[in-house]
Amino acid sequence: MIRLQHVSKVFGIGPAKVPALTDISFDIDKGAMVVLTGASGAGKTTLLRMLYRDELPSEGEIEVAGFSVTMLGRADTARLRRVIGIVFQDSKLLAGRNVFENVAFVLRVLGTPRQEITPRAFAALKAVGLSARAQAYPHQLSQGEAQRASLARAIVKAPSLLLADEPTGNLDDETASEILDLIWDIWSRGTTVILATHQARLVAQLKRRTLRLEGGRLVKDEG
Amino acid sequence: MLAFLIGEAFRDLRRVGRVGVSAVLLIALSLTALGGFWLLSINLGRAVTQWRDRIRIVVYLKDELPSGRVDELQRQIESTRGVQRVRYVSKADALQALRHSLGGQAEVVEQLPRNPLPASVEVTPDADTATPEGTRALVSRLAALPGVDEVQGGAQWVEGLAQFQRMFRLIGLSVGAVLALAAILTVTTATTLVLHLRRDEMEIMRLVGASDAVIRFPRIFQGMTQGLLAAILALAVLEAIYGLAVLRLEPLLPLTLGLQRATFLSVPQMLGLLGTGTLLGGLGGALAGGRARP
Repeated sequence: MIRLQHVSKVFGIGPAKVPALTDISFDIDKGAMVVLTGASGAGKTTLLRMLYRDELPSEGEIEVAGFSVTMLGRADTARLRRVIGIVFQDSKLLAGRNVFENVAFVLRVLGTPRQEITPRAFAALKAVGLSARAQAYPHQLSQGEAQRASLARAIVKAPSLLLADEPTGNLDDETASEILDLIWDIWSRGTTVILATHQARLVAQLKRRTLRLEGGRLVKDEG
Repeated sequence: MLAFLIGEAFRDLRRVGRVGVSAVLLIALSLTALGGFWLLSINLGRAVTQWRDRIRIVVYLKDELPSGRVDELQRQIESTRGVQRVRYVSKADALQALRHSLGGQAEVVEQLPRNPLPASVEVTPDADTATPEGTRALVSRLAALPGVDEVQGGAQWVEGLAQFQRMFRLIGLSVGAVLALAAILTVTTATTLVLHLRRDEMEIMRLVGASDAVIRFPRIFQGMTQGLLAAILALAVLEAIYGLAVLRLEPLLPLTLGLQRATFLSVPQMLGLLGTGTLLGGLGGALAGGRARP
């Protein structure tokens, strides 16, 4: 599903160069759940952004879901992103639209047939336990509910890969647990999941393969 | 999908508020100026065409020509390159015309011992020859015919009018081009503002894999809508100005330009103006914000 080969990323030029990632290599099989961990600034977000081609590596090759990421043009980049669902630390919900419209928005911009949009959006909301809050606006949601809505939006297009970048970073322990349970459910239905977190407690809780980054280097690959 | 994208474009139009209204007004101003120059140019062009049709060259014949030779000369003139039609004016016809023009003083003519006026042939040049160069060449050809005493006439003054019309059109296009550029830049600014307001939607669209066309369509459609609204406004203003101007100026047209009445833009021309406005707006929308990040 995912292959990184000797991937490095350097920001800036000349004396202002900052190495964000150095010589990263690993494979992730289809259907796996992998935890990407490390302290803030270790390179987790940079690595995740390269998987959906929001950043390009300075060196190395990246393959995701059959796409050679470094070689993609604009149209193929859009195709790659259609098979990836992304959840961020802040939910990035659209303020002027309610929960249902936020989830349906994804299906609309991808050209989903009109008659499929409503049932699929409600199915995604049901999967994350937010059916009753479909008409609520983002400012009316708790942080946990907002993150659930963000998850629903990520999975409504049935992605084969889910990237979650610190999805519980802003949440209390109980709410974080609920979100992790939902991500676990998504994974158990066959979606490949990469979850980035700096919280050691979560790493221990998930008991999955762990890739640990320190200073942009992959220092541990276990589980 | 199209209905959704159009809905997004109208949502953006509502968001853009006063800046969007400014864009519409500026495009309308540009199109009103363009349309005004175009309208004036069309009517000047009609005057030029009409006056070109009235260009005449007069070939004065030598007095001593026998009548058989006159007929032959008339045929030669008719068959000369650049001649559309001819009208023979005999000495008697010329004298009669003089009596008519003298009006109350016509008895002066009766005092003349003999008819001093020559016979002539009035020549109407064809459309290709009705230019200063064409009429000069035709005059030379006609003057070379045996039996011709003198040739008078030309197209210089009509060409003066035609040159004025061309210059007027050029000025109109230049002014219109400057205003059109300003209009495009204003639409671009308004649309860039919308892009800023829409950055969250654009970000989500980009991240979920929406195509470039889907990301760009709302802003191009928004620009086109602004352009079309502006063109409709410009047409309405032009029609109002035309209505007021015609009331005051139409009585002067026969004396100044030789036209009985002025004409407004035809339906295809109006559609052309609407199309131009839509295109200007769409161009402004397309230029806004550059290309979406991959």
